[in-house]
Amino acid sequence: MRRTQQRHHRRLVGAKVLFLGLFLAVGGRAFQLQILQGDKLMRLGQRQHLKEWIVLPKRGALFDRAGEPLALSMESQSVYVRPHRIQDADKVSQNLAQILGLRAVDVQQKIASEKPFVWIKRQLSSPEAEKIQALNLEGIGMFYEPNRLYPQGQLAGQVIGFVGRDSEGLEGIELKYNDYIRGETGSSVSERDALGRRVLVQGIEGLQIPPGSDVHLTLDTSIQHIAEKELEASIVKNRAKAGVAIVVDPHTGEVLALANYPSFDPNHYAQQSAAQKRNRAVTDSFEPGSTFKTILAATALEEEVVGKEDMFYCEMGQYHFAGKIIHDTHPSGWLSFAKILQVSSNIGFTKIAEKVKKERYFKYIEKFGFGKVTGIDVPGEVPGLLRRADRWSAIDLATHAFGQGISTTPMQLVMAYAAIANGGILMRPFVTRRIVSPSGEVLLENQPHVVRRVVSEKTAKLLASMLRDVTTEGGTGTMANVEGFDVAGKTGTAQKADTAHGGYSKKRVGSFVGFVPANDPRLVALVLIDEPEAQVYGGVVAAPVFRNIAQAALNRLSVAPDKAATIPAVTKQADLPARQMVKRSAQAAVNVGADAVPDFTGLSLREALEKAQAMKVKVRLQGNGYVVRQTPAAGGHWNDEEVLVLNLQG
Amino acid sequence: MASAVSAPTRKVAGVKRERWQRSAGSRWRIVFGVILGFALISVVLAHVWLRLQVVRMGYVLSTTSKLQTRLEQENRELKFELATLNSPERLDALARQRLGLVTPERGQVVVLP
Repeated sequence: MRRTQQRHHRRLVGAKVLFLGLFLAVGGRAFQLQILQGDKLMRLGQRQHLKEWIVLPKRGALFDRAGEPLALSMESQSVYVRPHRIQDADKVSQNLAQILGLRAVDVQQKIASEKPFVWIKRQLSSPEAEKIQALNLEGIGMFYEPNRLYPQGQLAGQVIGFVGRDSEGLEGIELKYNDYIRGETGSSVSERDALGRRVLVQGIEGLQIPPGSDVHLTLDTSIQHIAEKELEASIVKNRAKAGVAIVVDPHTGEVLALANYPSFDPNHYAQQSAAQKRNRAVTDSFEPGSTFKTILAATALEEEVVGKEDMFYCEMGQYHFAGKIIHDTHPSGWLSFAKILQVSSNIGFTKIAEKVKKERYFKYIEKFGFGKVTGIDVPGEVPGLLRRADRWSAIDLATHAFGQGISTTPMQLVMAYAAIANGGILMRPFVTRRIVSPSGEVLLENQPHVVRRVVSEKTAKLLASMLRDVTTEGGTGTMANVEGFDVAGKTGTAQKADTAHGGYSKKRVGSFVGFVPANDPRLVALVLIDEPEAQVYGGVVAAPVFRNIAQAALNRLSVAPDKAATIPAVTKQADLPARQMVKRSAQAAVNVGADAVPDFTGLSLREALEKAQAMKVKVRLQGNGYVVRQTPAAGGHWNDEEVLVLNLQG
Repeated sequence: MASAVSAPTRKVAGVKRERWQRSAGSRWRIVFGVILGFALISVVLAHVWLRLQVVRMGYVLSTTSKLQTRLEQENRELKFELATLNSPERLDALARQRLGLVTPERGQVVVLP
């Protein structure tokens, strides 16, 4: 009995020792794994089940002033190869080449590479990506990359600029405001399963990287489109080399359109030349020619050196000055200052410059902003070339009078004319209205910025009236006339400097700068045609472009004509009775007498407005369709200052 | 006689009571141990269940996130398509070629007061 108890006791002790030993072994192993090798093993484990996912930056969008998208960001797939994993290189390269439209030899070369990773093609189209995925080839992978797209194609291409493959802005607004537009690159560590699938056990906060900010431009796509179309048409017609058209609001400095030719499509920036990418309106300077005479005219008027009606003898086309002979295209005798501007006499302006003196003239050239950048918010602006007055030779006074020996950018010139149009204030031009963050916060807002007053309002108005004569009968810019509006402006035909041989070449720059309506300008526009061959004069190659752009822009801006409308030619027989009825009705109403309220009832909206315009009656419209009631009623006493309220229905 | 019987009987009864009291304490310990065991197992199971739920939700979130990305991409593509269709150049060409429209003549454009 006792021996049995002792045996049991020994067994029990043995078991205890065994389990203690086992626990010690397990504990020791646990200590080794958790404490001694813990960090290393944890890293190994995390490498297997954790992965860092890079969240690529999403660039903000670019919009025009009406909210039309000009640049959008998307994600496209790019296809790569891990060469050492490819089993059948010939078959794979054949398949990829066929789908991607590449040469099989090129794909084969990439697959034969010694590198561990080689791109086959970047930024595939959706059908291409789907076909590659369907192949499910070992060693071939896809990767999402940001892709910048410009839905309007070449529209305002040079202003918008473009971005590189790494999503960095390289030109234009894309470059200027890159820090705002780019957005942040983010990364998120999340678990993945045995198949490599992402398991978002930590939530999605890390993946929620806000995109870049949106940029709202001052450009109007409709006016921009017209400007580009008309500019191209003139350049093709006149076999010119290049051209620029700018439309600006003179009161604010907002750029409504900025067109360049040759055009540039940022969707295919890599295939296009540097000449296409250049925004010539700010990066190129040129000798302005006769459009610069306006600056001397403003100086002379502001300093009261010359009056509008002062007479000058224009030497019948040849004038000896500082050892040189100055010519006029059309010889003239005695001309008034206003007429000199209208016919653009070089001799007349040389004589005016003699009276103004170079120091005073130089002061105003600087005041109008020449020789310095305008400060427009697009990259690459140059200041032009302006020599100080003390470095002018004797002949320079004359050449500066008619825009030679000085170079300006198109933007400088259009802003100088904007100063005359708005009553004498030089504004800073801008193309970006505001930048808005994804949360709706306005990060940057450009307000109209006054640079300085250049001339008095009186001088500006007087000069505007003189510039209006340029587009009337006898002036050089009659082809710039916009029907229904008074246009003020100036033509220019500048010789281009011969950089190879010195002096001037036979090449020309034809231009027109003006504003409309002349008495209350809503827009200033410049058209510049570089090296036209068929016709060279600014009044012929640039003025019609100005007219067409201005006409469309005024329609777009809903600016009512300041001259009475002429009823357009009737093209359809069916229209005749209605038109005659309106004419008769208007005539009859006029005949009723100035005191009687005319009858508008029964007329359509268009007929009522035509009648009101013909009779110079102020109306206020309520509703749409046909006039059913008017206040005051027809036949009552009529006061010219009264507004006729028309109620329309139907 | 009676006292001779009653003394061992009392002793036996005392032993029985003592054993019963001892076994009752032991039973409570066993019951407590079982309950504790169940509680621990429940906690462990709950932890495992929660962990499985987290993983399952991780998969759901991952799928939903992918769907969101895809829909956002689709939305951007549609916006791009709309902008392309609305481009002035295309509308101009369509208006002239397909609809035969022309630029309005002077007087045909009426600006509302």
